[in-house]
Amino acid sequence: MTWLKNALQQGVWPWLCAGSVALSLLMLGALLALLLTRGLGHFWPAALTEVTLNSGDVVAGEAVRDMPLPDQSGSERLYFTGNRDLDDARWRWVATDAIARQAQPENLLRLERRTWGDFIGYLEAVEVNGERFTGDDAWQQVQQALSLPTAQRARYQLTLRTPQGQTLRQSLATVISAEAPNAMHLGEKLGAWGSDVWQFLSQGPRAANTGGGVWPAIFGTMLMVIVMSVIVTPFGVLAAIYLNEIAHQGPLTRLVRVGVRNLAGVPSIVYGVFGLGVFVYGIGGSLDEWFFADALPSPTFGTGGLLWASLTLALLTLPVVIVATEEGLARIPDAQREGAVALGATRLEMLTRVVLPMATPAMLTGVILAVARAAGEVAPLMLVGVAKLAPQMPLDGEFPYLHLERKFMHLGYHLFDTAFHGEDVQAAIPLVYATALLLVLIVLVLNLTAILLRHHLRRQRGSEC
Amino acid sequence: MKYAAALGLAWLLLSLPPAGWAQPQGPSVSGTLGAVGSDTMAGLMLRWGEALTTRYPDINVQFQASGSASAPPALLAGTTRIGPMSRPMTDDERHAFVERYGYPPLELRVARDALIVIVHRHNPLPDISLDEVDAVFSSTQACGRAPIAHWETLAEGDTGPRGPIALHGRNITSGTYGVFRQRVLCDGDFRPKVSKHMGASAVVAAVGESYGAMGYSGYNHLTPSVRPLPLSNRQGRPVMPSDTTIQNGDYPLSRYLYIYVNLPPEAPLPPAERAFLNLVMSAEGQQITRAAGFVPLPMDTLEAQRAW
Amino acid sequence: MTRARLSSQPLRHLQDRIATALITAGGIGVLLAVLGIGVFLLWEAAPLLLDEELGSLSMLTPLAWGTLKAALMALLFALPLALGAAAYSAFFMSPRLRSRIKPTLEMMEAIPGVVVGFIAGMVLAPWVERHLASTLVVIVWLPLSAGLAGMLWHLASRHWQRRLPLSWAALWLIPWLVAMGMLALWSTPLVEQALWGGDLRRYLYDAFGLDYMTRNALIVGLAMGFAVIPSVYSLAEDALNEVPRPLMEGAQALGASRWQAVIKVALAAAGPGLFSAVMIGAGRAVGETMIVLMASSNTALLSASPFEGMRTMAAAIAIELPEATVGGVTYRMLVLAALVLFLFTFFVNTLAEVVRQRLRRRYQRMGGGA
Repeated sequence: MTWLKNALQQGVWPWLCAGSVALSLLMLGALLALLLTRGLGHFWPAALTEVTLNSGDVVAGEAVRDMPLPDQSGSERLYFTGNRDLDDARWRWVATDAIARQAQPENLLRLERRTWGDFIGYLEAVEVNGERFTGDDAWQQVQQALSLPTAQRARYQLTLRTPQGQTLRQSLATVISAEAPNAMHLGEKLGAWGSDVWQFLSQGPRAANTGGGVWPAIFGTMLMVIVMSVIVTPFGVLAAIYLNEIAHQGPLTRLVRVGVRNLAGVPSIVYGVFGLGVFVYGIGGSLDEWFFADALPSPTFGTGGLLWASLTLALLTLPVVIVATEEGLARIPDAQREGAVALGATRLEMLTRVVLPMATPAMLTGVILAVARAAGEVAPLMLVGVAKLAPQMPLDGEFPYLHLERKFMHLGYHLFDTAFHGEDVQAAIPLVYATALLLVLIVLVLNLTAILLRHHLRRQRGSEC
Repeated sequence: MKYAAALGLAWLLLSLPPAGWAQPQGPSVSGTLGAVGSDTMAGLMLRWGEALTTRYPDINVQFQASGSASAPPALLAGTTRIGPMSRPMTDDERHAFVERYGYPPLELRVARDALIVIVHRHNPLPDISLDEVDAVFSSTQACGRAPIAHWETLAEGDTGPRGPIALHGRNITSGTYGVFRQRVLCDGDFRPKVSKHMGASAVVAAVGESYGAMGYSGYNHLTPSVRPLPLSNRQGRPVMPSDTTIQNGDYPLSRYLYIYVNLPPEAPLPPAERAFLNLVMSAEGQQITRAAGFVPLPMDTLEAQRAW
Repeated sequence: MTRARLSSQPLRHLQDRIATALITAGGIGVLLAVLGIGVFLLWEAAPLLLDEELGSLSMLTPLAWGTLKAALMALLFALPLALGAAAYSAFFMSPRLRSRIKPTLEMMEAIPGVVVGFIAGMVLAPWVERHLASTLVVIVWLPLSAGLAGMLWHLASRHWQRRLPLSWAALWLIPWLVAMGMLALWSTPLVEQALWGGDLRRYLYDAFGLDYMTRNALIVGLAMGFAVIPSVYSLAEDALNEVPRPLMEGAQALGASRWQAVIKVALAAAGPGLFSAVMIGAGRAVGETMIVLMASSNTALLSASPFEGMRTMAAAIAIELPEATVGGVTYRMLVLAALVLFLFTFFVNTLAEVVRQRLRRRYQRMGGGA
């Protein structure tokens, strides 16, 4: 009995606790690994397989995943086959037992097209200015022509053949990119991967958010966060200075401080409700009635937009900034303040010349933490101003340049939207992974910066005091 | 043949310069185009929006798609002038609009769609009748059949899934939810156990992952992961949903898709809205309809609705 | 020079007074605006409460139940993990490892809910549906296997105990848990065949009438638990770490083992701190929106089954509020839900804060402190 008790106390319980740490780390690692592999793997030029079935049917495309059959008698494989205009579907499930032959022909192409999505098949011929090219010449012509501007590409007419033998004529103007992944060697694949990642980061979404990139969402997120920090920093700092330096340190101040601290724990959706009711319907509606009456019934500020979203998130992150700044202010020894006042400085001078410079890094940490929180927050934005598609940026060359009333795209909402509202979840999932990875990276980098900054600071301060 | 015709049309359109929907205002149209409404039509609206901005880069397109029920309040509150809806407005919604503005909203039929009842791709169930669908999905059985909760009750024989039917549907604000309730459940109530998904494609994905599941969604979200069930129409003959049966109305749950416009009687439409509606009513717009998975309307039906 | 300075003296004081007034006004304004949230919610929801349309309040019942169910499932999963991890890293872990692990685990908190929800709803839920038995076996087996590792370690020779010290056990256990997880996944079909006739879901239905929904409380619990772990862990670890060392050492000097000192002395001393950590975790679980939205089936059910979904207040607000007509019953209902969330989290957080401050004072009295 004592032996068991000893074993439990010295071996089992502590190791169980260690197991919790290990398991938490494992889950975090698994999540990040999943995001990394799926998010980055999507851009890798996948091999295209041409499958001949026992029935004689031919299917060509990218193998996506295998699933067991419901009666456990075998498995089936999902192929992305493209050619929606011809087959009415982009996907095909094939029972693995029904596959007679598989091949990866080098001339099998994948064209990314407008309107109908990807084409997978063969290039028969290219006609340009009355000339006709076939075979390898045709492929070279296409590759050269793809670097031309769209208007000039319209001269090229492609004759394409599907793996099933149908032919199709297509203007090159509708083709966005073309590749023959089976013929690519590693270097070319790396190059294609790099350029795809870049496109993802730099372009707008296409084909109802199932293709293209997320640049407007990145930009929208950044702009919203910047506007938010411009609002939250002065007010947060002001409130912190008031609480710490000016207010009488009585029970009331303590109460307020606890209250502010607790607001950080209030669910974000509650802030969203407040933003919708007060900013959008209340203030926005009144602004429209006073200043934009001629535009009614089209609303200007009476609908969710960049300004309201930024304000709502500023309110949401205000406690973060206040708490962090207050912490910084509290760390400054009173001797510094007393010294400044003893030397004849007024309170304002003491604050601006002595206290604030010393508290700047703490304020910065607070703002970075606020930004990190805001960048990942989606729920309140659903109420106050994100849009599914707003390809026009809220910032452009048109007066007044910054359009605070416009709706904007947001990475987090874009993720939610493409994963659940999209046309075809299967097609959108890889992009969702990539978006999720990007969002996580942004938030983690911001948090790391804040942690390092704080760490650096504490060390510096430690040597000073 | 159908493919060849469509292909020919596509080729014709794609090879022409993009002037299929010529503009009275000339090439430079700018402005903001906002639309609030149907989630079913979100993909379609986005594609129309893409085509519009390709043609007029200065138009600012903003869509919010959280369900058809969000369109009437938005039109009413003035947060938008264009409300895509996957069902016609109810009398109450129309009445509220008239009360607020003094004129009815302009109703445009822009495409044809259908509700489909889907099961997992390996589910052998041959077909289903409307009454049976009600018996499966409804808790009130307003259409008068005894409730069906298990696959054993629904399908005789040994093949296919066993046990309770896992039900998947849309959330309360979606038009699909409303139409399904009205046309299939005889205005009854859904079983509380029907999973309420955020989007139609989420329903399709969920049913495609689960062997014992049944769900409903829009025709345009159909993927090979699921199988649409042929539905018995009033003559008791099961009809498979397809472009033809949806177009001619043989398939019992086919419907129109609408765009509601806040168009005051004498005032002209702002240029961005006008350009958008011109695109929607053009051949190119209807081609996009097909690419988005819906069934296009005949051109004369479209032309007959022009009121601006 | 002197005269110039003298003449600017009143100006300086004026500036000072104006600045002070401005800061005061700004500060109070900000604080009022922040606290105004509660006022706004109360104002908007009040007509509903005063109208005595209390019948419509029954709409909130399934939502409140769903919220509680989701939060409870999340805490059920997160608390053992978070508290165990806190105890280990406060008392057993090597300081060098701790300085790395703690920030890493706290980093988990930064992962946006929308990402966790996506993974839970789109990846985890379908997988669990197909492998329900494996999931349950893994959930039971992993803690057991960690205990087993501890038992083996206890039995091992001194040499091995020194080679694999407890203070680094969190690292040794990672490969061990991976291997054990694999083992569980591999062996589950055999277990399932033997115990449940090859299909656990079918067995659950036949034996207990339990229905299975793809997105259910189990999934929400796992996903939201993941999101709650870091905040509970961080606060609990702080509380445990601040337990005055002399207390622990005294207990051990009186003959208690290290583990006994942890349980009997440290947990008792830090109890209020742990309580406040749990409260903060509960507050987070109750208000989390995106995870529930994406990982639950949003069905307003009043069921206690872990395999059925739920609809929470936060999710209902996110879905329905944009569509609700301003001033209508639904609108007010949802604002009321927001008010309930606000009051609940505010109350819980205040409680946690008060308890924490008490604790800090108690430690100071004990003469130790951080």
